[in-house]
Amino acid sequence: MKDLLMLNSRSNFVEGRVNDPRFQHDFTIIDAYDLPGFDLTPYKAMVVPGLIDQEFLWKEKELIREFLDSGRVLVFSGHLFRPWLPGASSFVPRTIRSYHDYVVSVRQPHPVFEGVKPEDMTFNKGVAGFFARGHHPAPEGAEVLLTLPDGEPIVYIDRSSTKGTIFVHSGNDLFGYMSSESTSRRIGPQLIRWIRDEHEQLQAKGEAV
Amino acid sequence: MRKIGVIYGGCVQHHRTYNEPKYNRYFQELIYLPEFAEASLEGFDVLLFPSQLHQGLVAQSKEKIRKFAENGGTIVAFGPQAHEWLPGQNWEFRPTNFWWWLEKDATSGLVQSMPEHNLFEYITLEDATWHYHGVFYPPPGSEVLIEVEDRGAILYIDKVSTAGSLIVTTLDPDFHYGSYFMPATERFLDGFLPWLAEGNW
Repeated sequence: MKDLLMLNSRSNFVEGRVNDPRFQHDFTIIDAYDLPGFDLTPYKAMVVPGLIDQEFLWKEKELIREFLDSGRVLVFSGHLFRPWLPGASSFVPRTIRSYHDYVVSVRQPHPVFEGVKPEDMTFNKGVAGFFARGHHPAPEGAEVLLTLPDGEPIVYIDRSSTKGTIFVHSGNDLFGYMSSESTSRRIGPQLIRWIRDEHEQLQAKGEAV
Repeated sequence: MRKIGVIYGGCVQHHRTYNEPKYNRYFQELIYLPEFAEASLEGFDVLLFPSQLHQGLVAQSKEKIRKFAENGGTIVAFGPQAHEWLPGQNWEFRPTNFWWWLEKDATSGLVQSMPEHNLFEYITLEDATWHYHGVFYPPPGSEVLIEVEDRGAILYIDKVSTAGSLIVTTLDPDFHYGSYFMPATERFLDGFLPWLAEGNW
């Protein structure tokens, strides 16, 4: 069921995913620059990594919007600086004075983070800062799942800006914790399950309309 | 001041690092990687290839990059390199230890092998110390400035493979500065870029 499309920036850190067994079952991985002209019909979601060329996505923003407006899901992890994603704002870094500035809190329980301890997101082997170092202001009506200490949204879900669903995380790739020794390893598989459920609901809603 | 072109990949890490005013003033131009194949390189003394560039596009321009060096230009490459696109580059992946500094009597394992080199008037070994993703085994005759105790170069200058200079480091300060992560990487860039503009090698 390779029904999730992952864009590959072909940067050193992510290039290996094309052959990584953990990504073979669920993802179709393509070179991001092959996106124009690529048949997107079979895919429930598009997963965009943080090392992506955002100048390119900005040029292709109509394609992204059409994909979402056809009732599909887009998941982005990283820092935005170009307006290619509907409803989204640019990344705002947090001023870091101590590791307390990195503490992750759950605003609202959600299937993607079920069973994941907040401290396992804040700390990686005792070191804070890997998970999120700032935020994207959430669009109106968005559902905020996780926050930084002053309530800044780390993860939000936006069902208003398009006819699809946008999931934005302001930190390192949420599929990058699958080999973690802590409860954060639950995030990847739970996110995959949530994407498929969300897609099903979007399609049902589309048929009802 | 040398004329430096930066190959810009369009990712946020490059955008932040190479547009930061204190660094951007050293650059003549940011050349967008998808347009690099068509770009004129006339007038540039140095081309800086940031870490995490699209490997397919870099590979397509391998000949153009080599020619630039053969004409006496300087190529700088940051970060881990799993593909051979520079002459004499000989990369070996090492699993990254992000945590070495938490261990008792920790040392990073990095050694300054040519302390008299002009670069070290601009940066200290501490400014180059965070973690590394692998090492290089550069060709004989290259100058290794920073290496790992158990062999392998972290930063070297190769003036033998081409008529120009290849300044290659496995360090990826631009990725970290551009990700708002790890302060040493900012000190590295604060010293390295002025050296690249006006220093000696």
